[in-house]
Amino acid sequence: MDNQQKLVQSFVQALGIGAERVTDELTYNTIKEWDSTAHMILISELENTFDVMLDTDDIIDMSSVGKAKEILTKYDVQF
Amino acid sequence: MTSNSESILLKGGSVLVTGATGDIGRAIVNECVQAGAAVFAAGRNEAKLAALVNQYESRVIPLNYDVTDEKAVKDAFRQIQKQQNQSDIGPLTGLVNNAGIMEEAAFTVSGMDALKSQLNVNFLAPYQHMQLASRLMARHRHGSIVNIVSQIGEMGATGMSAYGASKAALSGATKSLAKELAAVGIRVNAVSPGFIDTGLTAHYEEDARAEVEARITMKRAGRAGDVARAVVFLLSRQSAYTTGHTLPVDGLFYP
Repeated sequence: MDNQQKLVQSFVQALGIGAERVTDELTYNTIKEWDSTAHMILISELENTFDVMLDTDDIIDMSSVGKAKEILTKYDVQF
Repeated sequence: MTSNSESILLKGGSVLVTGATGDIGRAIVNECVQAGAAVFAAGRNEAKLAALVNQYESRVIPLNYDVTDEKAVKDAFRQIQKQQNQSDIGPLTGLVNNAGIMEEAAFTVSGMDALKSQLNVNFLAPYQHMQLASRLMARHRHGSIVNIVSQIGEMGATGMSAYGASKAALSGATKSLAKELAAVGIRVNAVSPGFIDTGLTAHYEEDARAEVEARITMKRAGRAGDVARAVVFLLSRQSAYTTGHTLPVDGLFYP
């Protein structure tokens, strides 16, 4: 499984949605499944999957799937 | 002697205890190990941490850092994140924010530095620990956080406005985070000690001590173990339906 697939799987697990809905444009709080509770679980999933510990400022900025990829790149995760 | 039921209360998980080398901290570490948990013991004194490791061997993992150093706290959680996957340690299921400082001073001579240092250790540091611990716990949808507050924060005491405020801040966060984190299976409670025989209270002269004990309904100071057993109760599944509460361990104290 490559990093893109791992990322999609993390969103699927955390938000409980189908993989086809995980696009770069998917944005926090625009679907009912991605609320503040799911966001906490998502951060937890991403940290575990990619073996990183995110800064609080990065968590605040993680407002979309595309933004999540951009932030994870800072932690040496390549897409 | 530990009964079978006691030894499985926390089995299969790990607990981070801050201020682990103080009197109450050591008692909490002891009770957690007896209850079956692996313990991440956080403290600043390397020699005292080494003594804990010697006493409990592989059940205690030392973490030598200052709780007010944000980067060091993050590094400590990075270590926990890696080590919790080991089968003999287990996922982080408990956090005890026990590290604290107390500086007594009349209001008119309370310096801002003393106020800030107490807020840093007694409130800001526990807040960062809860933020990082909850991310590790959320993945398993299971965890229990216990904050050590104080009856002085709950009820007030002369000469304790800064200390009381710092502990009251932590009480307030306890109640709000219990509501916020319940959705991911994390409980947040507090234990509120009264006058406990520890290094923090050892400086009391005989007269001052007698005056305090006169205001305790049970007419004696508490012991570190009394606090530690209340902490383990709140960490364990025995309190599975309790969150957002503060449990006084004070012999019915009127500070």
